Amino acid sequence: MTMVRRIAIAVLALFWGSLLVAQGDPLVDALRKYQGGDLAGARTLIDQAVQAAEHAENPEAWLLRGFVYKDTYKSATEPQEADQLRDEALLSLYTCIGLDTAGSYKDNAKQAYDFLTRSYFNDAAKALNELNEERALRVFAKFKDASLKLDPKSDLRVREVEFTNALGTVYTKRFNQDRTNEDLFNKAVDSYRSVIAMDPENYGANYNLATLFYNRGVYKIQRINADDEIPTILQIQEASREYFQQALPFMLKAHDMNSTRKETLLGLEGIYYSLQDQESSDKFRQLFEELPQQEER
Amino acid sequence: MVATRLLRILFAAPFFLFATVPQQPREPEKDTTAMLQANYLYNIAKLVEWKDAGMREGNFVIGIIGSANLYQELIKQYSTRTIGKQPIEVRKMPRSAEVERCHILFVGRSDLALLPEIYKRMAGQPTMVVTEYAGALDDGAVVNFVKVQNLLKYEMSMSNAQKHGLVMGLTLKNLAHRVEE
Repeated sequence: MTMVRRIAIAVLALFWGSLLVAQGDPLVDALRKYQGGDLAGARTLIDQAVQAAEHAENPEAWLLRGFVYKDTYKSATEPQEADQLRDEALLSLYTCIGLDTAGSYKDNAKQAYDFLTRSYFNDAAKALNELNEERALRVFAKFKDASLKLDPKSDLRVREVEFTNALGTVYTKRFNQDRTNEDLFNKAVDSYRSVIAMDPENYGANYNLATLFYNRGVYKIQRINADDEIPTILQIQEASREYFQQALPFMLKAHDMNSTRKETLLGLEGIYYSLQDQESSDKFRQLFEELPQQEER
Repeated sequence: MVATRLLRILFAAPFFLFATVPQQPREPEKDTTAMLQANYLYNIAKLVEWKDAGMREGNFVIGIIGSANLYQELIKQYSTRTIGKQPIEVRKMPRSAEVERCHILFVGRSDLALLPEIYKRMAGQPTMVVTEYAGALDDGAVVNFVKVQNLLKYEMSMSNAQKHGLVMGLTLKNLAHRVEE
C-alpha cells in the first residue's frame, strides 16, 4: 500500500469514523472495501452510494468516490480506460469541492484534484515524447479544462508555451521524416508561431521556427538534379528565397536575445549565404569565429 | 518534474539541427550556392557549342579551381551524365594558373588572384572561363555568376565567347540576367 493511499484512508476514516458502525450503507461498505484494498468492490458500492438520495449531495461520498477512482486509474493499464477513470475521479472531486460548503474536505479533494490534473500534463509530455501528438493534444486539452474548471483564473501560459514548443518539435521531427507532408510543416510553423504570440521573447520558438524555414529552403535546393533546366532552377530559387526570408527575422530575434550563441551565429551565416548575401554571411561567420569557447552559452 | 524535463529535452532537440550548418569549410549539404552553380554549369554546357572539332571528342572536362563543394556536387550529381555524346569528367585543378585544357574552367572567389594569369594563358583557347566576381566579363570571363535580388543568376559575354570559339545558344542568352554583346 502506498503512502498516499495510507494517508487517504486515514483521512477518510477520520471523517467517517462514526459511520463505520452503521450497516447496510453503501458508503460505509465502500469505505471498508477501499480500506481493504478491494478497489473494484469499493467502486461498485460508491457508485451506488452517490446515486442514493441520502448521499447524492454528500461531499464525503464524492470524496471517497474521487479517491476510489483515482486509485483505480493508477492501476489501469489501458490508456483509454485510465482516461475515463481519471475523468470520473476529477468529476467526483470537483463535485465534492462544490458541495463542501463547510470546507471540511476541500484541501484533500483539491490535493487529489491537482495530482490528477498534473497527471494529464505528464501524459501529454509522455505522448509527445512518443511522437503521438494526437493523444498529446487530447490529454493536454483535458489538463487545461480540468485546471480552468477548478480555477477559471489559472494562468496556464507557461505550461501552454512549454507544451506547444514541444509539439512544434514533434511536428518538425515528423516532417523531417516525410518532407512532402505540407500539413506537418504547417502545423510545426503554427505551433511555433503560437508560442511566439504568447511569449515573443521565447528563444527556442524563434530559433526553431527560423531553422524550420531555413531547412525547408535548403531542402528545395538540395532536390535540384540534372533533369532540372534553368527556368526550373530560377523557380526553385524563388521558392527557397521565400523560406530564407521568412527564417531571417526569427533568427535575428533569437540572436538579439543572446548574441553569443553559437547556433544563431551559424544560423544567420547560413541564411544570409543562401540569400546570396555574402557580406552579411561573412560578418556572422567572423563573429562566430571570434567567439571564445568559454563565452558560448 | 519528469514531464517538464521530457518536454525540455524534446523541445531542445531541434537546436542541434543547426549543428549541421556549414563549418569552415561549409558543409556540402548546406552549400546551396554550390548546388545551384553545379546545375547552372551543367545546363550551360548543354547550351553551348564548341567550334573546335577537337573539343567535340573524348570526355567533356569541367575543371574547378577552389570551391571544393562545387567540385563534390558536380561529381555527385552530374559526373555520370554526358554533354551530347561526351561523358562528363569533373577535375579538381591545382591552385595554379598553369591550367590543363578543359571545356569549362570555374575559378572560385577564393582564387581570384590567379585569374589575370589564367585569362592570359586561356586567350584564344576553346575553354569557357566561368567566375563569380563583379567586373569579370570586362576581364575576360565568358560566364559570370551574379547575385540578383537574393537569387543566383548568370551574366555572359558574347564577344568573350566568340574569342574562345564558343557559340552560346539562344536559350542560354535569353535566360541570362545580363548579356554583353
